[in-house]
Amino acid sequence: MAKKAKQAPAGDFVGGVNMAEVERLLAFMEAHGLEVFEYQHGDTHIRLRKAASAPVGMVVQPAAPVQTTPLAAAAPVLPAHAPSVPAAPAEDLHIVKSPIVGTFYASPSPEAAAFVAVGSRIESGQVLCIIEAMKLMNEIEADISGEVARVFVENGHPVEYGQPLFGIRPGGKR
Amino acid sequence: MFKKILIANRGEIALRILAACKELGIGTVAVYSEADRHSLHVRFADEAVCIGPSRSSESYLNIPQVISAAEIANVDAIHPGYGFLSENANFAEVCQASRIAFIGPRPEVIRMMGEKDRARAEVAKAGLPIIPGSPGVVPDEDAAVSIAAEIGYPVMIKAAEGGGGRGMRIVRNKRELLPAFQTARAEAEQAFGSPNVYMEKLIERPRHIEFQVLGDNYGRVIHLGERECSLQRRHQKVLEESPSTALDHTTREKIGGQVTKALEAIGYTGAGTVEFLREESGNLYFIEMNARIQVEHPVTEMVTGVDLVKSQIRLAAGEKLSEAVGKVEFRGHAIECRINAEDPDTFVPSPGRITTFRVPGGPGIRVDTAAYADAVISPYYDSLIAKLISYGKDRAEAIIRMRVALDGFVVEGVKTTIPLHKRILVHPDFVAGKLDTHFLERVGLAEAKHA
Repeated sequence: MAKKAKQAPAGDFVGGVNMAEVERLLAFMEAHGLEVFEYQHGDTHIRLRKAASAPVGMVVQPAAPVQTTPLAAAAPVLPAHAPSVPAAPAEDLHIVKSPIVGTFYASPSPEAAAFVAVGSRIESGQVLCIIEAMKLMNEIEADISGEVARVFVENGHPVEYGQPLFGIRPGGKR
Repeated sequence: MFKKILIANRGEIALRILAACKELGIGTVAVYSEADRHSLHVRFADEAVCIGPSRSSESYLNIPQVISAAEIANVDAIHPGYGFLSENANFAEVCQASRIAFIGPRPEVIRMMGEKDRARAEVAKAGLPIIPGSPGVVPDEDAAVSIAAEIGYPVMIKAAEGGGGRGMRIVRNKRELLPAFQTARAEAEQAFGSPNVYMEKLIERPRHIEFQVLGDNYGRVIHLGERECSLQRRHQKVLEESPSTALDHTTREKIGGQVTKALEAIGYTGAGTVEFLREESGNLYFIEMNARIQVEHPVTEMVTGVDLVKSQIRLAAGEKLSEAVGKVEFRGHAIECRINAEDPDTFVPSPGRITTFRVPGGPGIRVDTAAYADAVISPYYDSLIAKLISYGKDRAEAIIRMRVALDGFVVEGVKTTIPLHKRILVHPDFVAGKLDTHFLERVGLAEAKHA
C-alpha cells in the first residue's frame, strides 16, 4: 500500500532520497543552529537529527519537558561542571574513549605535569591519563601512535563509559 | 531522607523507582548501557551516566561501574530494583563500604536468603513450615521406609548431586518405595557419579502463594497480604493476582502472623516476599524468600493502597513502619498480566522496533511500562515490555476490566503475549479460580514440553 516517492533527477538520488534537498536542509539547520528538523510534504517525510555535538557528559542541562522534545531525544548526561570544550572535531581524528566510569586526571599526581597535552607525540601503549574509580587509579593507554590533537575533558571532571577523552591524529612510527 | 538516589536498573522498574523518588523530592541518577541510550529511565532522570556496553555483565551487573557512577554523581543511596544486583550480597557490602545506602536488607540477610538450604533451615527454626523432607541424604533402605512414612505419601526421591529428572522418582505408596529407591540410586550413580538421593513430600497441583512484607530498622515487620502466582511457564510467572482465591481471611491472618514473627526473629528489613507452595489440603510450605521488590508488586499496591517502592525508600532512610506505611487495609481485587515481547504460542522472543503502542486506561487500569512507539526492544535483556494491572471491587470486576483493557492494548512491530492473556482471562478454570502451577500446560496454553 506504500506510495512510491516522486522521482527526482537521477544524479541527486541516493537510495530514494534527494541528496541535494537533504544537503540544503542540513545547511539550513547549521545556519540556524538547529538540532532536529522534521519536514513532511506530500509523500516525502524527512527527519534530520544532528549527532550530539555538544560536549558529551559536560553539559549542564535540567531535564527538558517532554512536550518540547521527541520522546527519545538525547538524555541529560552527568552535569555539575561547565562545558570544557566546544563542538566536535572538524577533521577525522581517532577518538580515545573512556572504558570506565570515574574521575579524569590529566597528570599522575596533583603537582606533576600532565601526561600529554595538545601537540604531544604519542606511541601506542603510552599512558594518556588516569581515570580514578572506587579509589583505584586506572591508567588509560593510547591504542594508536600519533599526535594529540584535542583534549575533551578537564582535569578532575567525571567521565562516563564511552565518553571521548582525546582526539588523536594518527601517524608516526609504532 | 536521601537527597539523591542512583537507580541501578533499567526498563519499567527503573521508571517505577524514578517516580517514587520524584514523589519524595529525591534527586535521581540513571545508569544505562549503550543499548539503553534512548530509554525512558534515562530521559526522565535528573542525571544519567553511561556505564558500559550492551551486555548486562559489562553494564548493569558491573559493580565497579555502578559504584563509580554513584560516586561521581554523589548519591547517598542506590535502589537496585529487581534482578541484576538486587540480591547480590557482595554488591550490598560494597555499597556499605562506599558509604552509600543500599535500599534493601542487610548483606548477611540477603546472603542467607540466597542460599536456599540455609534459608529453609533458618525460617524453619523461626517457626515457618517447610516442605517435609529427609534431613539430608537418605542413607539406606530402612531409613527410606521410615522417612517416607514420616513425611507421608506421595513422596519424591531426588538425586542429591544433580537434576533434570534423572535420579528422580515419584512414589505413591509403601509398595513402590524400595524399587523406586533402588532405581533412583542406580540412575543417580550413572548420571552424576553419586548414588546419593534425598526425599521430599510431593506437592501435587501446588498453588504458588507469596506474602509481601515490609520491615523497618527497628525490629518490626508487617505483612501486606498475599499474591497468587500459580500461572507460570517454565518457572516464569505470567499472571499474578491479589488476594488468592485459595485463602480466607483467617488463613491469611494466621500465615501472615507466622511470617512476620519469623522475619522479626531473623531481623528482616526492607521489602521482601515469602514464597509458599499450597497443597490441595490447604497446607502451606515455605519454599524461598525474595529479599527485594518484585515484578508483581503492583497488585499488592492496588489492594492495600500502600506504595511499596516509596515505603522501601522511607524505611531505608530510617523511618518507622508506623510513619512510612501506617495501617494496612485490604480492599478489592487486582490482577497483573506480564506482557512480554514474545510469540504468544511458541514464546520465542520477538525483539525489534515497536511501531504502535496504544495503552488502555480508565478506572481501575494501571500500566507500568518503559516501552513507547518507536522504541527498540533489544535482545540483550528480558522480554518484559509492560505490566497491565486491573483493579476491581471484587475478582469479577477485576477480570472484566482486564479483558476490556487487553482488547484495548495495541502493540505492533513486535509480537507480544497479549493474545495469550486474552485466552487465559476467558478460560473457565481461571474464572473459577481453579489454579495450580501446571495450569498453562493443563489447559494447553504453554507450548509442548521438549523431550
